Amino acid sequence: MPKRTDIHSILIIGSGPIVIGQACEFDYSGTQACKVLREEGYRVILINSNPATIMTDPELADATYVEPITPAFVEKIIEKERPDVILPTMGGQTALNTAVALAESGVLAKYGVELIGAKLEAIKRAEDRELFQVAMNEIGLETARGAFVHTFDEAVKLAEKIGFPIIIRPSFTLGGTGGGTAYNMEEFRGKVEHGLSSSPINQVLVEESVLGWKEFELEVMRDLKDNVVIICSIENFDPMGVHTGDSITVAPAQTLTDKEYQTMRDASIKIIRKIGVETGGSNIQFAINPQNGRMIVIEMNPRVSRSSALASKATGFPIAKIAARLAVGYTLDEIPNDITKETPASFEPTIDYCVVKIPRWDFEKFKGVDDTLGVQMKSVGEAMAMGRTFKEALQKALRSLEQGRFGLGADGKDIVEVRTLPESKKAEWRKKVLDRLKMPKPENIFYLRYALQLGVTIDELFQVTKIDPWFLHNIKQIVNVEEELYAYRP
Amino acid sequence: MKSNQKTTLPGKITREILVKAKQHGFSDRQLAHIWGSTEKAIRQLRKQLNVSPVFKTVDTCAAEFEAHTPYHYSTYDQENESVRSDRKKVIILGGGPNRIGQGIEFDYCCVHGVYALEEEGIETIMINCNPETVSTDYDTTDKLYFEPLTLEDVLNICEHEQPYGVVVSFGGQTPLKIAKALEENGVRILGTSPEGIDLAEDRERFGSLLRRLKIPHPMYGTAYSVNNAVLVAEQIGYPVLVRPSYVLGGRAMEICYTNDAVREYMKKAVDVSPEHPVLIDRFLEDAFEFDVDAVCDGKDVLIGGVMEHIEEAGIHSGDSSCVIPPYMISEKNLEEIKGYTVKLAKALKVIGLLNVQYAMKDGTVYVLEVNPRASRTVPFVSKAIGLALAKIAAKVMVGRTLEDLGVKDFDFRKVKHISVKEAVFPFSKFPRVPVFLGPEMRSTGEVMGMSSTFGGAIAKAQMGAGNTLPVEGRVFISVNQSDKNDITITIVREFTKLGFSIVATEGTAKFLKEHGIESDVVFKVNEGRPNVVDLIKNGQIQLVINTPLGEESRYDEFAIGWAAIEQKVSFITTLSAAATAVKGIEHQQSDSFNVKSLQEYHNEIEA
Repeated sequence: MPKRTDIHSILIIGSGPIVIGQACEFDYSGTQACKVLREEGYRVILINSNPATIMTDPELADATYVEPITPAFVEKIIEKERPDVILPTMGGQTALNTAVALAESGVLAKYGVELIGAKLEAIKRAEDRELFQVAMNEIGLETARGAFVHTFDEAVKLAEKIGFPIIIRPSFTLGGTGGGTAYNMEEFRGKVEHGLSSSPINQVLVEESVLGWKEFELEVMRDLKDNVVIICSIENFDPMGVHTGDSITVAPAQTLTDKEYQTMRDASIKIIRKIGVETGGSNIQFAINPQNGRMIVIEMNPRVSRSSALASKATGFPIAKIAARLAVGYTLDEIPNDITKETPASFEPTIDYCVVKIPRWDFEKFKGVDDTLGVQMKSVGEAMAMGRTFKEALQKALRSLEQGRFGLGADGKDIVEVRTLPESKKAEWRKKVLDRLKMPKPENIFYLRYALQLGVTIDELFQVTKIDPWFLHNIKQIVNVEEELYAYRP
Repeated sequence: MKSNQKTTLPGKITREILVKAKQHGFSDRQLAHIWGSTEKAIRQLRKQLNVSPVFKTVDTCAAEFEAHTPYHYSTYDQENESVRSDRKKVIILGGGPNRIGQGIEFDYCCVHGVYALEEEGIETIMINCNPETVSTDYDTTDKLYFEPLTLEDVLNICEHEQPYGVVVSFGGQTPLKIAKALEENGVRILGTSPEGIDLAEDRERFGSLLRRLKIPHPMYGTAYSVNNAVLVAEQIGYPVLVRPSYVLGGRAMEICYTNDAVREYMKKAVDVSPEHPVLIDRFLEDAFEFDVDAVCDGKDVLIGGVMEHIEEAGIHSGDSSCVIPPYMISEKNLEEIKGYTVKLAKALKVIGLLNVQYAMKDGTVYVLEVNPRASRTVPFVSKAIGLALAKIAAKVMVGRTLEDLGVKDFDFRKVKHISVKEAVFPFSKFPRVPVFLGPEMRSTGEVMGMSSTFGGAIAKAQMGAGNTLPVEGRVFISVNQSDKNDITITIVREFTKLGFSIVATEGTAKFLKEHGIESDVVFKVNEGRPNVVDLIKNGQIQLVINTPLGEESRYDEFAIGWAAIEQKVSFITTLSAAATAVKGIEHQQSDSFNVKSLQEYHNEIEA
């Protein structure tokens, strides 16, 4: 299918100011979308309140509105510019929410503006917890067991069905305060009561705990001819319980068997079809129980996301650019891959290297802040590195962070030099290090090294951190090489 | 430790073990630590033993098809896939991972640098390691190296590419940190020389330059130890601003009013040493601050714009909201700012971008600092005035002049529309952290509001930042002793005129009553219930004005701040911001918002 000729002007919604969880990855996607849609000859209208972005350069769109991204202002722009369609999938959750509000209030119908990239029904099915759960069940996939409850009795009944441990998450509280994990009914009662009262709408999410499970993401694209491609698999080094944005992530996934990967792939294809994202990219997150291999679907983002930016840079496959072309009617087999120029975009990328991303936090600017990592993202940036192996990429990523470290320790900045530590101190340090590793925290990666140097076994480390042994083995190999290097010290 | 370090290594280290280390990702710095040597010596040894990285191509297809897009990463392997062209090429160093104080603005500047050099027919090469950015789109430059921005990694690429020069002044502090070392290794730094950058950063040398140019500046000093710091502070006179040297984003910066405070700061905040002294400046309390972004080609100076900060001195420029054009400055002072900027640009031999921060107190303009590099505000100014300053600067850096680019005579006074920049904070993500602004930057992002009126631009900036101002309801006000003045009275009167009722703490209510303004008295948090936090939580307060009182009432103020953030109630901590909020609300009540594109605004400037 060639591109649509029934439309002439496209309104792109940006993501507004940089906040934690929504950063310049949307400048990247928005800039790509502006570029290709103008190349295709459309009139591009843009709204973004963030002046620091490249996408708001006056040369990149035909009309650039640096205005607040609210339904009211977008309506004013629609009224003035009369775009044929809106592309809301490039500007993160801000753009998607604004588009949904405009669709639901009837503004889009009033001005005859169509949503492209993702339809209202698909967005809702992906974002409403209950609709998503139903949709997944219909295609035979599992999600975490649980629901939103408003009363204590409802919560207790649900808990009996789910089984412990259970996560309690109050809705709309600052920084997710008032939640927690319960391991028995007594704890559960206390936490639910507290959660219900701290939520301004007296609502808590009661959910089966998947803490410690392995976490994966797949970047998927689909076109109007129902072609689906998997762009990239990403594995979280940190297990479930730490937000993906706060996790060290690795591409491609390293610890799945081919069979497991194929299952996940098949599931992704089913999901994007079921949710009904007709054109463009989506990000689907999975969790796998390391004990029994049970796989559940965590969530789906029916839009370009932070992970898409990472996947694009990791593979060289320009997801946003291609998503923009798909949104105006092209199909994957019609779009050339501009890296090879020979293969079309329907060829799935293959990579023969390893990519590691590490987040960067700025906790020292916020006195008294809790630096434990959890389900709410806290990092303000990230660095990515590529290498032939995970080991090389990890060390490169660590020195890319610019926090005064030049790799995985051994750079004169370690808090303890285990090699020269007297035997009498080792037990104390061992305890200190293992205690620290019980909670996910920003510099834990360095503590893994200390632990291995102190003779903690990989199995013990796995029990404490739930980080897959494959990763721990690799870190051990780095530690071993470091030890070997010392033998050459003059 | 230092005396043990050797600059040459004995022949014990084999090529084999070096390659193995490198394949496991060990940096020269790590090897220097392990082998008790220096980074430089390791580098020499690698060269002797012929251990250099190769550059592989990211080709989406594991080399199955030929790749056309030069997107590379380094590794220690066979076969180099990155082909060096024989064109004139320039490397632009990116800003690395985003952090508070160094964000997307610098990516904007880097990308503009690239666009400009491409227009000049130069091959562009980007080095950066931040996957979120436009600069790491393989489409942006002729060649992309996805690599760490350390000296080792950058030098490896320079050696392979043999560029004409390297741009270090667009990516924030990251590339500047290695500029000098790059130059020492024979790499040409484009634009202002590292010497010029150093001159601007060196207190003593810069101070004598200012004296020579007869430009006023606040008293300052440098301290190398705790005792020394107290002495210096006393000489300068309190209050003082203390901070470590060479940082971006005001890390660990504080305002001190007493010897004890200085001593406390020196103890906890920094490891002070002769190499890392602490800078101490006289803090100009209640001064107005201004920022200027300009471009110099060595002969002429283009002043992009003068921004006036809305919050008074003491709040980090990255956290302060600001407005173009300035709204409270005399023509004489504006001329002085213009004149000083030109003088400084020439004296520092700036080639490219220049940012100068000024403070104005009692009619005198002081220079606070000069940064001969891209600043955080370059994109904001560029969009306000319709000139891409970073692009112009990049062209100047490769030899063009402002005259032949046709921008020599640009007059920033022609810009009549109002542009407001407002900062956005992550407080809602970090429960229970202090919410007051200070000299340490904590915002993650920014928005811009544009309008033909000041009030319109303010209102839009607030809406964009997610703090839409209320148009009716109750204003809670609690001000500190020094703010119990005419300004407060005027602001409160304005609010009542706009139809708001006033709620105040006892002290403030009494003060208001003395000036004939009625208000409802409400308890502070510890005085009883229902208190102000209860009212906020019950939705009975629509706007909070709370100027900080100092340590003794910190808990009260934090509780109010947290409640306001949780309930999404506008929360204002300075009188100047409160005064501008009045203008914004006034505009909002009239409900006359227009939308206008940047292209339309810019066309009006030219007309």
